[in-house]
Amino acid sequence: MDILNFGIKVGIYALMAGTLVLAVGVVTLRNLFHSALCLAATLIGTAALYLVFHAEFLAAVQILLYVGAVVTVIIFAIMLTEHIAERSVAQRNRQSLPALLGILVLIAVTGRILLKTPWAVNPATVGARVTVADLGAALMGTYVFPFELVSVILIAALIGAVIVAKKEKSS
Amino acid sequence: MTRPQIAKEKNPVFGTGILQGMWVTMKNFIDSYFKKADQGGIFTIQYPEELCRISENSRNFPFLVYDAAPDSPRCTACGICERECPTKCIHVEMAKDTAGKPLRKPAVFEIDYGLCMNCGMCEDVCPFDSIFMDRVYEIAGRDRTKDMLIGKDALLKPNAYFQKIRPKDAADIDARRKAAEAKKAAAARPATPPDAGGTAS
Amino acid sequence: MNPAMSFLDSIFVNLKLWTLNLIGHFLPGWAVILASIVISGVVILCLGPVIMMYLTLLERKVVGRMQNRYGPNRVGPWGLLQPIADGIKMFTKEDIVPTNADKVIHLLAPIVIVVPALMVFLVVPFGRDMTAADLSIGVLYFIAVSSVTTLPIFMGSWASRNKYSMIGGMRTAAQMISYEVPMTLAVVPVIMMSQSLSTASIVNAQEGLRWFVFTPWGLAGFVIFFICTVAECNRPPFDLPEAESELVAGFHTEYSGMKFALFYMAEYMNAFTLSAIAVTLFLGGWQGPFLPSWVWFFTKTFALIFAMIWFRATFPRFRVDQLMGIAWKLLLPLTLVNMLVAGLWYFIPGITGWVGAAVILAVSFLGLTALNKPVIPEKRVYLLEN
Repeated sequence: MDILNFGIKVGIYALMAGTLVLAVGVVTLRNLFHSALCLAATLIGTAALYLVFHAEFLAAVQILLYVGAVVTVIIFAIMLTEHIAERSVAQRNRQSLPALLGILVLIAVTGRILLKTPWAVNPATVGARVTVADLGAALMGTYVFPFELVSVILIAALIGAVIVAKKEKSS
Repeated sequence: MTRPQIAKEKNPVFGTGILQGMWVTMKNFIDSYFKKADQGGIFTIQYPEELCRISENSRNFPFLVYDAAPDSPRCTACGICERECPTKCIHVEMAKDTAGKPLRKPAVFEIDYGLCMNCGMCEDVCPFDSIFMDRVYEIAGRDRTKDMLIGKDALLKPNAYFQKIRPKDAADIDARRKAAEAKKAAAARPATPPDAGGTAS
Repeated sequence: MNPAMSFLDSIFVNLKLWTLNLIGHFLPGWAVILASIVISGVVILCLGPVIMMYLTLLERKVVGRMQNRYGPNRVGPWGLLQPIADGIKMFTKEDIVPTNADKVIHLLAPIVIVVPALMVFLVVPFGRDMTAADLSIGVLYFIAVSSVTTLPIFMGSWASRNKYSMIGGMRTAAQMISYEVPMTLAVVPVIMMSQSLSTASIVNAQEGLRWFVFTPWGLAGFVIFFICTVAECNRPPFDLPEAESELVAGFHTEYSGMKFALFYMAEYMNAFTLSAIAVTLFLGGWQGPFLPSWVWFFTKTFALIFAMIWFRATFPRFRVDQLMGIAWKLLLPLTLVNMLVAGLWYFIPGITGWVGAAVILAVSFLGLTALNKPVIPEKRVYLLEN
């Protein structure tokens, strides 16, 4: 059993490392299409990490929404702008240095907050597995109001899209 | 102004046309197993095993006819076909005896099937009913110069073969030849000795 | 069920158990677990390509018959060795990469496209206790994994640097995104009724002959789902991404040899898995009387694949606007109505629910088709002025 566990552990760390490397690729690669693909791979890696932590539902939704929909739309946009995809785009401009400073400050602040927060662990939830049924019950029970609110917003967005796309009648 | 009518009266409900189309293909599928070629089944002819039925008038490459033996073909090596051939694929040389006197038969008769365009002019112009169009089509070869150049031995085929592949034409030609021979014989009769034709008189 | 039947029924399950027991005598426990995974994995990895190979043969034979031809029948008896000959041909072909192609992505695309196609096999219940991984999110997993298929098609089409590939890729994107929506929504009533996302328990919920397709919402859902699956695996009449007559071969124009074969493999494996999922969701999976479960499963799946081939032999290709119109204006509203109808059917028992559900579905179908009737422009007459 030890060898198997060890193997699994190595696999998980390799997965994390790979995801990180791909995430770095997203921001450093000079070809937009390549970085979009890296983004897709990063998202898939994240989904795999969710699987490792027994959050199957979250993993499936992550792949379905982010890889299946969001990245597809991003790539669609890139393919429509062929010129950007052809050439390698410049990665920095005059504001790079100030932006770097800002990011460093942000990292410092977030890191400090993360370290200072006492992460209280509820012993009852340790090792608990949230099934899809639990999620559904929570969405339709405890969180029914925000759930319905979100659906109303989505409907509004849908109708808005239809109206925007509708051909204006020529007078 | 009237709107153009698309045939929609037939399909009142959306989708029935789709089902009709699917029925057509399904019927073809079923028929392919249970029906004969002329009733809507598969009409593919599987070539090496089955051969196409060739109609009597089909013809492609020329061949030579002999009557009794290959040594005495109808061909007299006159060279008319050689001259008339549009692609110049025929080559004829007249045979000569030891004294150098020309014999009325070919020594060399070659047809380059690689050049021949199956026009049939040689058949039309031949005055001796010697060259005819064959219907052999499995003549593929590996070498254009060697395998497509057909010599005299391969070209000579008996009259029986000609009668087999083109019975109607062969019958006509045989009748004509017989008539011509009879005429020739009749014309030659007065020259014959009287005792030869004595029984008739 | 008599003993012979139950033996046949669980023959594959028992074979695996027996092998694992045998291994257990010689190897430690962790190796047995590993072996269990490896056996299932190897079976699936072999099953996918073999099914693909013989689907190509089946397709060529059936389409041939429908077009009054024999189809391949030269290699081996009934042409049974034809796929192997094709495979050898594919392997020995020259691999051509366009000069301006993005070499790495051009290479990756055909490899990546096979992955989701194979991964869907994991949740397919091939028979009683014959699901490789009975995930609690089975159906969602299937939808998520099959949605990834768009990416490699994009990669291939973009990396080829070819207009036809590009147009094919764009069409794929539009088509796949559009048809994913009604496909997912058509599955929802099934999940509502079986109250589970796991494929195995969805099949269990259709015990006996209570297949979902025998209910009004199930029939409507099945038809919608099946149309969407045909569109999802780019098969005719939804083959716009690889329309031969317009785009050479669409997104795989610039692929040759084994890379091309991999695209084809993915397409046929998708056709198989999508049919298998349709069978699982609506046609009762492996449920069925008299025959062993896996026989039932494969019979139903191949019946659906036969229908796909039948479509291919019958229908001409859609126009792009018709394709989009059917997804968004007909199938999507119908699935929404279908969800409602499924709820009504569940809460109104007896004949009332049945008739009510059927009537609502029929009315909404007719209404939607009437609303979608194409506008036939008025005939114009031009008078010449003299």
